This record gives sequence, structure tokens and C-alpha cells, in this order.
Amino acid sequence: MEKVLLANIDNPKSAEIGVYEASGGYDSLRKSLELAPDDIIETVKKANLRGRGGAGFPTGMKWMFASKDPKFPKYLVCNADEGEPGTFKDRPILEKNPHILIEGMAISGHALKAEFGYIYLRGEYPAAKGILEEAIRQAEAKGYIGDNMMGSGRNFKLAVHQGAGAYICGEETALIESLEGKKGHPRIKPPFPVNVGAWGMPTIVNNVETLSNMPFLMRVGPEAYAAIGSKECPGPKLFCVSGHVNKPGVYELPMGVTLREIIYDHCGGIKNGKTLKAVIPGGISTPVLPPDKIDCPMDFVNMPKHGSMLGSGAVIVMDESVCLVKVCLRALKFFEHESCGKCTPCRDGVSWLRQVLARIEGGEGRPGDIELLSEVAGNITGKTFCPLGDGAASVVLNFIKHFRDEFDMHIARKGCPIK
Amino acid sequence: MKSQIADELECVKAKYPAERAALLPALYLAQRKYGWLSAEAMDEVSRELRVPKATVRGVATFYAMYRHKQVGRNVIQLCTNVSCMILGAERLVDIIREKYGVEPGGTSADGRFSLVIMECIGACGTAPAMLVNTDFHESLTQENIVTILEGYR
Amino acid sequence: MIKVTINGREVQLDKQVTILEAARRAGIKIPTLCHFEGLEMYGGCRLCLVEVEKMPRLQTSCTLMVTDGMVITTESEQIAAARRGMLEFILTNHPLDCPFCDKAGECELQDLVYLYGGTEGRFTEPKAKHPESNVDPILARNIERCISCTRCVRMCDGVVGASAISMINRGRHTVMEPFSGGKFDCEYCGNCLTVCPVGSILSRLYKETYRPWQVERTVRTVCGHCGVGCSYDLQVRDEAIKRVIPRIGEGLNRGLLCARGRFGYEFVGAKDRLKKPLVRRDGNLVETTWDEALGFIAAKLSEVIKTHGGEAVAGIASVRCTNEDNYVFQKFMRGVVGTNNIDSAARMGFSGAQAYLESLRGQGVSANVIAGLAKSDVIFVAGGDPTMVTPILGLEIRGAAKKGAKIISLDPAPGLEFFNPHKIVPSLFAEGAVLESLLCRAVSARGMTGELPHLEEAIRAAVSAECAGVAAQSGVPDAEIEKASATISGSQSPAFVIGPDIVQRADGNRNLFLLAALSYVTGGRIFLLSGKANEQGAVDMGCLPDTLPGGRPLAIDGFRKRHEDACGMSVPAREGLSLMEMFPAMADGRIKALYVIGENPAFNLPGGNSIKSALEKLDLLVVQDIFLTETAKMADIVLPALSWAEKDGTFTNLERRIQRVRRGVNREGREDWRILCDLAGRMGAAMEYASSEAVMSEIARVSPVHRDLHYSDIEAGAMQWPYHGEPLRGEASTVSLVTASARPTVGSGRFALLVDRPLFQSGTLTRRSKALLKLIPKATVKMNPLDAASLGISGGIVRVSSDAGSVELEAVIDSSVQMGAVKISNHFEGAGVFGLMTKPPVDPVTKAPAFEGCLVAVEPLKGDAKS
Repeated sequence: MEKVLLANIDNPKSAEIGVYEASGGYDSLRKSLELAPDDIIETVKKANLRGRGGAGFPTGMKWMFASKDPKFPKYLVCNADEGEPGTFKDRPILEKNPHILIEGMAISGHALKAEFGYIYLRGEYPAAKGILEEAIRQAEAKGYIGDNMMGSGRNFKLAVHQGAGAYICGEETALIESLEGKKGHPRIKPPFPVNVGAWGMPTIVNNVETLSNMPFLMRVGPEAYAAIGSKECPGPKLFCVSGHVNKPGVYELPMGVTLREIIYDHCGGIKNGKTLKAVIPGGISTPVLPPDKIDCPMDFVNMPKHGSMLGSGAVIVMDESVCLVKVCLRALKFFEHESCGKCTPCRDGVSWLRQVLARIEGGEGRPGDIELLSEVAGNITGKTFCPLGDGAASVVLNFIKHFRDEFDMHIARKGCPIK
Repeated sequence: MKSQIADELECVKAKYPAERAALLPALYLAQRKYGWLSAEAMDEVSRELRVPKATVRGVATFYAMYRHKQVGRNVIQLCTNVSCMILGAERLVDIIREKYGVEPGGTSADGRFSLVIMECIGACGTAPAMLVNTDFHESLTQENIVTILEGYR
Repeated sequence: MIKVTINGREVQLDKQVTILEAARRAGIKIPTLCHFEGLEMYGGCRLCLVEVEKMPRLQTSCTLMVTDGMVITTESEQIAAARRGMLEFILTNHPLDCPFCDKAGECELQDLVYLYGGTEGRFTEPKAKHPESNVDPILARNIERCISCTRCVRMCDGVVGASAISMINRGRHTVMEPFSGGKFDCEYCGNCLTVCPVGSILSRLYKETYRPWQVERTVRTVCGHCGVGCSYDLQVRDEAIKRVIPRIGEGLNRGLLCARGRFGYEFVGAKDRLKKPLVRRDGNLVETTWDEALGFIAAKLSEVIKTHGGEAVAGIASVRCTNEDNYVFQKFMRGVVGTNNIDSAARMGFSGAQAYLESLRGQGVSANVIAGLAKSDVIFVAGGDPTMVTPILGLEIRGAAKKGAKIISLDPAPGLEFFNPHKIVPSLFAEGAVLESLLCRAVSARGMTGELPHLEEAIRAAVSAECAGVAAQSGVPDAEIEKASATISGSQSPAFVIGPDIVQRADGNRNLFLLAALSYVTGGRIFLLSGKANEQGAVDMGCLPDTLPGGRPLAIDGFRKRHEDACGMSVPAREGLSLMEMFPAMADGRIKALYVIGENPAFNLPGGNSIKSALEKLDLLVVQDIFLTETAKMADIVLPALSWAEKDGTFTNLERRIQRVRRGVNREGREDWRILCDLAGRMGAAMEYASSEAVMSEIARVSPVHRDLHYSDIEAGAMQWPYHGEPLRGEASTVSLVTASARPTVGSGRFALLVDRPLFQSGTLTRRSKALLKLIPKATVKMNPLDAASLGISGGIVRVSSDAGSVELEAVIDSSVQMGAVKISNHFEGAGVFGLMTKPPVDPVTKAPAFEGCLVAVEPLKGDAKS
């Protein structure tokens, strides 16, 4: 497959506008500016582009909601706050191919009649801030974005907003709050950001990868785009693989590639000839899978049928040496650390889960602890303000579901059996 | 009595339709100026943006990357989340602790290093990884981490 | 019409509301913790989860709006389990120290756990420890009990607008803290206390002194501090006020209070309250009996009247006493003594200002409902910080600002700093030039309607043809005034909030004229700030030298005759002396006797020693008060009165709303009116009333404004201007505008002395309230940082000297004080600002003293000044 999102990234000067232009960069924007905004939205719908942030919501539909809202100005916000542990797929775009994102945002801005765009960049990517700002400067200097883009009469101002270390800001309403200079607390929905978003105006929040798909999508058209990968949710997809594989890294592959193909064909299999023990397929909040469940096609529609989710496409591969109780505990420490503290079940329930897991991992587990974990997780599920707490509960429930023995053993042997 | 962050802040404010939106950037500016977000630093941000100071503090303490106590000359931000952990990040914490006498969340006695345990920093494919100040260091090993840190005085 | 089904019952709603609200209207209670009426929606505690048909998950009823046809179940096994689960989560971080928690018995968490039952304590991990913080003098903070509902923060931030506390950190580590992390250093309104569902924020005034169920009596009354008139409940045990609590949504304050109102009640139980009448014997005040005391006054007063005539007697009424007290007082002075020499401290600005504004724009011009400020799109604030003088009115301004109203403040108003005010700060005392420039622009922008010809004529005479440059002497650039002017002219419903500072000027009447004119031209409403509980009442009851009850000028024979017929006593035809005119008259022997109720002129009036020496010349000085004030100490006879918490009656607030004051505490003693009736009897005049209600019945007969107004009407809500009465119309037709002559100056120092009006002190009552004293324990002098630096002052004790004397005070550096000025309050014995003022000029129209032109020198004291 032709590399779209990661084109040029092996070129050390890939972030420069000249390199991007040389491979047809900004042609799609030029072409799109000649189209009516609604036609672009129609194209996106036809291409069946789905949001790459994790939830897989149809992008065209989201855009249509925002476009129909009569309020102006509208804001386009790029969610570059990839904080889901195991996820590093957007970083190469941000650091090495910034112009594809800028072009994508300019096209999207035109489609949405949004004249202001923000890239909400996670604080943990300090280098990307300078790279993006320089790229924006270059694109403005060339007249691609800014006032009167390419003589089209359309304006699109773009700025980088740096986050400051809060996973919850990946949730779009929390992200908007943070953009407004507030704590990253998720908002009550409805109203949805497409109607009442940043500064009370219609706001579209899309992931880096989603927006970066736009130049290619507009270049090849919806039919060619929809022909790539899965029928239900097509297009190129970035998979970022970490853990015990021989060749970890970011892979651009068609949607629907199986987990087995990713691990064994693209990443060269398990490191040091060890055996696979578990895979987290889509970032830490997605349900862990045992080795016998890795023949699932990685896309938003099929993964749930196989007991997990595509999430951010962050594949964490774990070999036999890994203590899964410890992994589960580390995940819960993460959720506890990142819980915004707003709702009771997430704030207090997740902390409780972590404390029980810490006891089990520390060799002080007691009979009944696993049932307690399940019940506490059950009390959290479906009752939290936003998906963060649900995610934490689901991690615990799925680790127990697939690897209960290991938990039992920790309790029975008063410690980790693997050490 | 114009504050030192005022000029830079003016440019930042211009990016947003509302002054308040400049709070996160203003806190970064103040942190750069003062080294950490002391009461004085937050008070200055409060005055510059006309956001009540308790509100400023509420926001500043919500985000993990603002510092609420004096930090060392170099801040090691080491990831120990799952991808880094299963590839040995915890041992790296021990090495830093032993070599430089700094506990997670603390600062070495000589003020050279502060150590902050990070949640994922997006370098999972090259784990374990850390940020020292704003520099990424990836594919860390028990051997190369000391060499890297020795480069920071 | 929206129809929903809740628990099988159909509920019809006229507009979209939350499920919680819809259920409430149907009489179905859904448990909540983080929800609180009037606070921003939150949806955090997850207690109010309900089932909604066709929705997969349980929904929070406090955030989800109903839609037509929605089918809702609020109680089921699934819901009960979820709620139990939430409570179990909350209890993982709650100490369950109910046996010694002040909140026990009225704790919402306790009640809910009781209702849903805690499951059998499955949480066995260690609970987080946070020692209770008691570093603050007023509020204790117990974070272990906190359930992170954020009601306190949403109150402080969203409703009060003080934004003094916030939830810091995140997740499980979220804790409520003031900025300092320890002391609150806030406005101490204590509204966070009202909303805390558990025992996390506690008042140290009553902490661990009783349990809620031990309260013997809860009495609804009106606050006795400022002129806003907030409603609240006094909770009493053992004839002592245990606490003051507001009722949510009730009263014009809708359940909000300020520091003075909530924490300023301890003076009622102060040890140094007067208990027995005192009489001067051999130069000393000694205890005596009521009989002897009243007999003495009757004899002595009769003697003065007989020898020198009734006009040799003057009376000072009280802005802290009830309408009934003040009515009886003026009746006594006019009918029994035979004098119109009656005035009150309302003369310090309020009464003269109101009378003048009414002469320009009609009676009742300032009788505007405070809540109406919320509907203003532009609020012009002049002459003081409303958030300090009248805090709850200040909150209304903040609330309007939050909704988008533009605030323009003439002179600094620090309490509005975070509400995006357009601040106009002219050079000292030059507000008039700014107002004139604004008026000039308003007239050219909006023209005039012809409605009030006398006023328009005066306006035309006052404004120049060319508006530019008018404000030159104020030091404010024309462009800035133009900006403010455009805002005002573009307003649909401007409000003009007038504070005391702009009235207490040598040309105060001119400022008032300009404000009246500006409000007239722009169609604005006027709010006249009043710092005392019943200033308006003292005025309306006729405690004025020229006006009878109901605002009728006594110089007009017809009004006087009608009044005499109604009350059955005669009234002298000649107008009396106003407050500031009384003292020269005492000094030169025209006045021989002074009767003072609930006022302290020796301290509360400017003029320093000249007031005291005038009082010393009197043949008879009678003081009725609750404390041995500076004036009482000079009296021949002192009668102990009852405080507002100990008597029944009414107050009239600055909107002219009449509200009931009710006795909460039983104390031996007599109301001021009862003392006066007894005295009248001894002087041969029959003045008898069975109760304060009977006094009001007479007022309802005598005062045309209060016609047919009885307690039952007041309690039923007919207490808002113009009641059932007849306001005075069309009486005034001339504008007595007196242009300021050269600005007076007295003294040779380089700083202009200004009156400080802090939030936590307002004088006589607050300085005997222990809690408030902890916030401002002593008098200070506030000065601008640059001025302080120029004198090498960074705190420490300084000497402030005027022609009238000098005081040594701690210097406080405050950037809200203008350059060239220093501010001192008038609250602490021996260190009042008025003591430094030598015979201030009096405005010829309002007869208010002017606090300008008093120059003082400030010098650091060696050894005390910090380098």
C-alpha cells in the first residue's frame, strides 16, 4: 500500500514545506477550495471516513451537524493530545509530516466554514510544538492558510495550543474546556460540541490522523478511498506497536488488517523467540486479548465482535515474562492518576480498584478480592460521567476474564508466581 | 509595574477570542520565568489575565506538567507506563535513584536533577523513554541512561 | 407543553427542565449530593441516577433535560443498588466521624446512607488522612469529610463571584482549598457553609458548642447591618444566638449572606452590653433604676423646654433602630418636646442625596428592586465599592456582569476587579468633571424627552455645547470617557449605583445632579447605597428636620395640619436643624439638650474635638444605646436599649422594601419606643402602644406613603414601594444646584484623607463582634504602594497627623488606594478617621459633610518602620 500519512517521513527534511510540496502537497487544498463546503462534507460521508481518535464516529456526520448549526464563528480543533498509553501514532505526523495535518485542517476548515483552527497538542510533545508552529508560519507565508487562502476569499487561521499533562483532555469536551483555559473536566452532553463547543460556538474536534487523511481523500476521491481496507470503515490506518515484538513502531496499514498480521508479518513476531502471552490491541483502555484471539480484523466494526476495540490502534504486545496483575495494576495507577475527580465512581471507585490490585500484586491478596474487584468494577461501569472510569473498570474486568488464574495464583502464593 | 511575562502574553492572548484561554500558556510562561509556579507566579498570572488567583491555582494544579515546588536544574520525566514498564523502566528509576540520590517526585540534594514519573509520553515504540527538560531520549537501557544524564549538568 | 411519565405518573411541564426538577414538581424526591438549587449543573456525585426508557445506561436526572414522551423510573432495585454503590464509594474516603462532627443531624450524606444503607463496609484499605485545618479565624476546613461535590466552589465562583476557593489537584487527590492553602483570606460571606452537604466547612463561631437539634428557637428576621436587608434565621439556644443561617431561595438575598450578616452577630451577646440605666453623679455614671432615670429626664427636659423653649432641644434618631422606634422618636420630639431639630446619621449622605434626587426626578426615584440590577445591561458605579458597602447588592452587580452586563466604575471598586469593569479613575475629587463630560455626551447622543422640564432646563444650563475637553481637569483622557459614554448611550436599561463617597464632597450636590441628569437622559434606574440597616426607614419615618413621616415637607401648612390631625399632636411650623447644624448650635448655646437614640455622634461624626466640645456644653445629654459608646460616656443619663435581635418591628431597606424584624433573643430591657412612651407619659403626654404592631398601625394612619400598611400586609408581601400609599408628586420644580466654589483644604500634609469602608467592619456593631474583629482587628491606614515607597514605608506603624490631631496606625499597602490619598476607617475607638477631620465643609443642598480637603501628613515611626 502506498504510504499516505507517513509519506516522506524517512526524508530528514520531511517537515519542510518544500519537501511536502514536491510530492503534491497542498494540491488537494487548492482543489478543495474550488468545491462548495457541503460537497466536501458529502465526499467525506461517501468515503465513510471514521474518526481515528478511538471511538470511530463517522466524520462526515459530525461535520454535517456542525455545518448545519447557524452560529458563527465555528472552530475546528485538532485533537493532538494522544495520551492513551501505548499510543504514539500521531507523533510522526506532528513531528515529521506537519504539513499534511495543516493541509487537512485547511480543507476541513473550508468544508466546515470554520475560520479558526487550533491544534491542541499534548504537553508531552515539546518538540512538535516548535515544528508545527514553524510549519504554520511557512504555510501562511506561502498563502496556503491565513487570510484569503490561495486567493479563494476564504480565511483559515491556525494556532497551536499546548496542553499540560492531562489524559482526560483527549475527551473532546474536556479538551475544549482546556482550550478555554480551564480544568479538563468533561462537559455535560447534550449540548454537543458541534453545536455548543469552544466559547459556546459550534466546534468540531477531530484527531490528527483523521484530519491528515483529508488531503489524500480529496486527491483520490471517495470511491478510491473507500476501496482501501475494510468495507465498513475503510482507509489507511496507523498502528503503533510496542512491547515485546522484534520491530516495534508506527505502521501505516489498511484498516482491517488482523492483529496476527501486525504482530507477526509486520513487526517480525515476538522478541527473543518467546511466546505471546497477551495483547492490548488499541491502547490501554481497550480489552486485553489472549493469544488465541488475535485473528481479529483491526477496525472499528469488527473488533467489538471479537471482544475488544480498535481504540487508537495502539498495540501493546506482552510475552510470557510479563506479570499481568502488575500490568493491570499499572494501568489502574494510570487511570487513578488521570481521573479528573469529578464523578464519584471514577474518583473513588477506580482508586479502590487500584488499592486492591496493589495488595494482590504485593502479596497481600485475600480470598474474595477478585470477586470484590469485579463487583466494584461493576458498580463503576455505566455510571461514570465520561468513558474514563468505564475504561478503567473494563480493564480490570477483562484482565480477570482472560487471566483469572494469574490473579488467583497471586493470592494463593502471596506474590507473583513469575518472579 | 509591568510584569515580565506581559509582552509575551500579549502575543499569546491574540490567538484566542477570550483572554482566559491564555491561562495554560501563561502558566507555562510563568513557570519558565520563576522555575515553578510559586504563589507569586500564580498571582502574576492572575493579574495579567484577570482570572482570580484561586481559579488559577485550581487549573495549575489540575495539569501534571506544572511544577508546584522548586525543581532541579534538569527535570527527568521518565515514563513507567505499561509499554515502558514491561521493557524495564522501573529498573531505570532505581538507577536514577541510586546514582543521583533523587526519589520520584523529588530533587537531588545538589539541585541537579528532579525526577518525575510520567504517564505515557508517546515513545512506546522506542521504550523505555524519558524527556529531560524538553529533550526526548528513547530506547533507554540500564547502560545508556547514565551516559545521557551525564550530559546534563 | 411537555408530557413525561415519572414512576407511572404523567407529569405536564410548561418548559423544558431537568428530570430532577420535573420530579420535584411532581412531588417525587430524587436523592442528590452535588446538585444544589441555583448552582451551575454538575452531575458529579451520580446519586440522582434514574432509568429512562430507550436509554441504555442510567442517567443523571440533574443534568438530563426532559423531552416529550420520556418515561422515567426514579426508584428500582437497579437504581437503589447504583445509589448504594455510589455511597459506598463516597464512604471509602469519608471518616465516618459522625459522633463528633458538627454536621451530624443535618448532614445530607448521613441522611442518604441512612436511607439507602451502606453495604457491609467492604472497603478495608487505609483511608486518606487530612488533618482539619483551623488556621483560619472564621472557617474550619475538614477535607477528610469532603465528598468533592464542589458545591462550595460553585457557590464561591459561580454565584458569589469571589472565586476565593478552588478544587486543587485532580482525581482522588482533589481537595478544596483557598489560594493560600490555609487561611481563606476571602470575603468571608460563608455561603460555602450554606451549601456544604457534609461537615467539611464549618463556622468556628459555633463549632463544637451544640448540636443542630439542640437549637431551641429559629426566628426569621432581617439582618441588622447594611441597608440591603437580607432575610435570615437566627438560631437561638439559652437566649444566645448560636448561628445565623439563610434560607435558600428566600428573601431578596435568595439565601446568600455576607460576612457582616453571617458572622457579625456576636455583639448581641457582648459582655459590655448596657444592663441598667446610668446616671451621672459627681461626674461619674452610676447605675440607677428605670424609674429614677426616666423621672430625672422628664424633669430636666421639661425644665429646658420651659426655660428655653422646645427648639432648644435636638434629637438624633437611629439608622439602626426600627421604623417603630424612629416614628415614636420623632413624634416625641415634635409633639412632646416641640421641636423639629430631628435628624439622624442618614444625613451623612443618604438622606440629603435621596431628597435631592427626588426633587429632581420624583419621589421614589431610588426605590428600585435590587434584583433588577440583573436585568441591566450597563451598570455605572460611582462613589464606593458596592461589594463592600452593601455586599449582597454587590453580588447582584457581579451576577449581571457574568450575564454580560458592562460595568463602568468611577473611582476604584476592587470587588468588581474580576468582572471586566471599565475603570475610570479621575484625579482625586474630580469625579464631577467626568460626570459632566458624560452628561454632555449623553445629551448630544440621546437628546431629551421633555418629560421633566425643570430638570431639562437645568441640564441645558449645565452642559456645554462642546463636550471635548470638559473632563480635562479630571486627568481622564477624552477617548476613555467617550468609550464609557458610548457604552452608556448604547444601553437599553442602564443602572446607576451611587455610593456615599461621591455624595460626601464639597460639591456633592453637583455630582448628584449630574448623576440624576445622566440617569434621566439615558433612562436609567438609580440605586442609592445605604450602609445602615434602617437609614431609609429613619428618613421615611420623618426623622428629618424638614419632613414629616411619609416624605411630606412640614413647611407646607396643609401637610402639617393633616399630620397633626392624624397623630393628635401639634408640630412646630419652623424647620429644624440638620445633623451637622446641631453642633454649632450646641456650641453657641442655642441648643441646650440633646436626645440621642442608637447613635454615637462623638465618634461617628466628622469634626473631631469640635463635636465633643459642643456636647460638653449641653445642659442635658440623654443617650439610649446598647453599649456605653463614646457619646454615652459623656451623657448625663444613659438608658439601655435592646438590639435588633431582641425586638419586633420593621426595617425599610434601600429599595424601600419594608421587612419584619423579629425578636429572636429574650432579654430584659425595653425597646427604644417603649422608653420614649414611658417618658412622654411622665411629661404629661399620652403615647401608648400595646406593641410595635400598634405603632405600625398609627404609622399606617399618619404617613400617606404607608397608608393602610399593616404587619399582615408586610408579611404577605405588600412591602414594596409604593405600598398602598401615595408618593409625593410634582412638589419640587426648581433645581437648587450650587456650584462648587474653590476646593476647600484644611491642613498642610501631602495626602488627602479618605474614608475607608471595608467589608468586615462597619462600626459600632461590628467592632463588638469577635469574629469580624479577627478579620480586621485594629484600625489601619491604607496607602498606595508608590506613595508608601516614597516615604520608605513598607508596613509597620506610621503617624498620621492632621490639624485636628494625630494617630499612630499600622500602614497597609494597597494598590486600590489612589496616589496622593490615604484611607482610614471609622470603626475603632481612638483611631477613627472622623477624629482627624476638623469641621468639614457641609454641602449646602444635601447638608452632608464633605470628606475632602482634609490634608494629612504621614511619617514612619522610627524603629517600627520596616526597611
